[in-house]
Amino acid sequence: MQLILRRSLYAIILLAGLVWIFASADKNNSATAGRIPAPQKGFLAPEFKLETSDGQSIALSDYRGKAVLINLWATWCPPCRAEMPTIEKVYQEYQSQGLIVLGVNSTAQDDPSAIAPFVSQYNITFPILLDVSGEASNLYELRSLPTSFFIGRDGVIKEVVVGGPMSEALLRTNIAEIIK
Amino acid sequence: MNLLTAFQNIFAPPRDLILVVLAAWIGLTLSERRAQRNHVNLDSLSNLMLVSLIIYIIGGRVLYALENLAIFLQSPTSIFSLNTALFDQWGGLVIAITVAVVYGRRIHLPLWLSLDALSPLFATVAVGIAFSHLASGEAFGRETNVPWAIEQWGALRHPTQIYEIIASLLILVLVLIQKHTNSPGYKFIFFVAVTSASRLVIEGFRGDSTLIFGGLRAAQIAAWLILLIALIGLDYKKSLEHEIE
Repeated sequence: MQLILRRSLYAIILLAGLVWIFASADKNNSATAGRIPAPQKGFLAPEFKLETSDGQSIALSDYRGKAVLINLWATWCPPCRAEMPTIEKVYQEYQSQGLIVLGVNSTAQDDPSAIAPFVSQYNITFPILLDVSGEASNLYELRSLPTSFFIGRDGVIKEVVVGGPMSEALLRTNIAEIIK
Repeated sequence: MNLLTAFQNIFAPPRDLILVVLAAWIGLTLSERRAQRNHVNLDSLSNLMLVSLIIYIIGGRVLYALENLAIFLQSPTSIFSLNTALFDQWGGLVIAITVAVVYGRRIHLPLWLSLDALSPLFATVAVGIAFSHLASGEAFGRETNVPWAIEQWGALRHPTQIYEIIASLLILVLVLIQKHTNSPGYKFIFFVAVTSASRLVIEGFRGDSTLIFGGLRAAQIAAWLILLIALIGLDYKKSLEHEIE
């Protein structure tokens, strides 16, 4: 009797599981689908518009259709300093294939006078944007420096790397994904 | 700033890993106690765990490097990088389990009794992973209007990370309060069964599922199959127990 009860219970559990699988199926494929802007893998990269140190205004949407790496950094942050030469190296290598690197300086928590010497010290050639009001940092829910967002040509975030320094292999594997 | 935001700020990635490591430390203590009760050699079990952990770390990294060989040949020193993303989690796990089984046999550890002893460790690590998901915002829920929805990633969503925490804590309690049985392996299979059942249910509320065959969630199908095998195993173990009695 106990055996029958036990096996009936197991059968009910498995049947209920099957019903739940079909009931909770996402038929519209709408789970994330890259429709909502949010700083998370699988979501549309939130739009921002910032100025460079020479006053040029750059919006993320200017680069729609290109693979974009957004690197949030500050001059006082040691891992940011450590990964900058590698980012510059891979940028030089991949820019002909459509890679854009946007170095977003978290100016709200940095010394603005230290930015230009930093850029010159590391021979940075990609655009450095100044997040003076913290707008981009808030939009991208910045909690640790550095943080990097790898955005595909469709504008969807393919990978988020929090902390650093990023190794060359990590940069290359993620860039290979977004420049496809 | 509410409690959830404060928690997410304190344990933002990569600090969320602290929660998993802390859970593993507590779990090891609980498992050691159970090992003593099961008369499993503590030193051998600790050696097995250490070897498995080392193999998991090395195996996961080496597999990832092999999968991306051209990139690693361009920067060979990246093999020693501290970036946790350069890691094949599932591959590392398969290698670690294989090595653990072979090594366990070599040092004469009883398989099922050892797995029973390790169940509290697995259950506690699951709690740690659930908390790390809450901290990082991973494993997030689908959009909903339920009164307990939380604002996350630009929408009101099912708090699947909180569901996961509640379920994993309940499973841990169930694993800890289980009575002694005459059937070695029963406790471990029970843990596998309730864990897969919980994943099957919670996955249905997730917003980041991998979808197959017209919207079915791949993780749910995998969880259902594991649940099926675990229930067959439980039934077999129960039958053995009755025969012994």
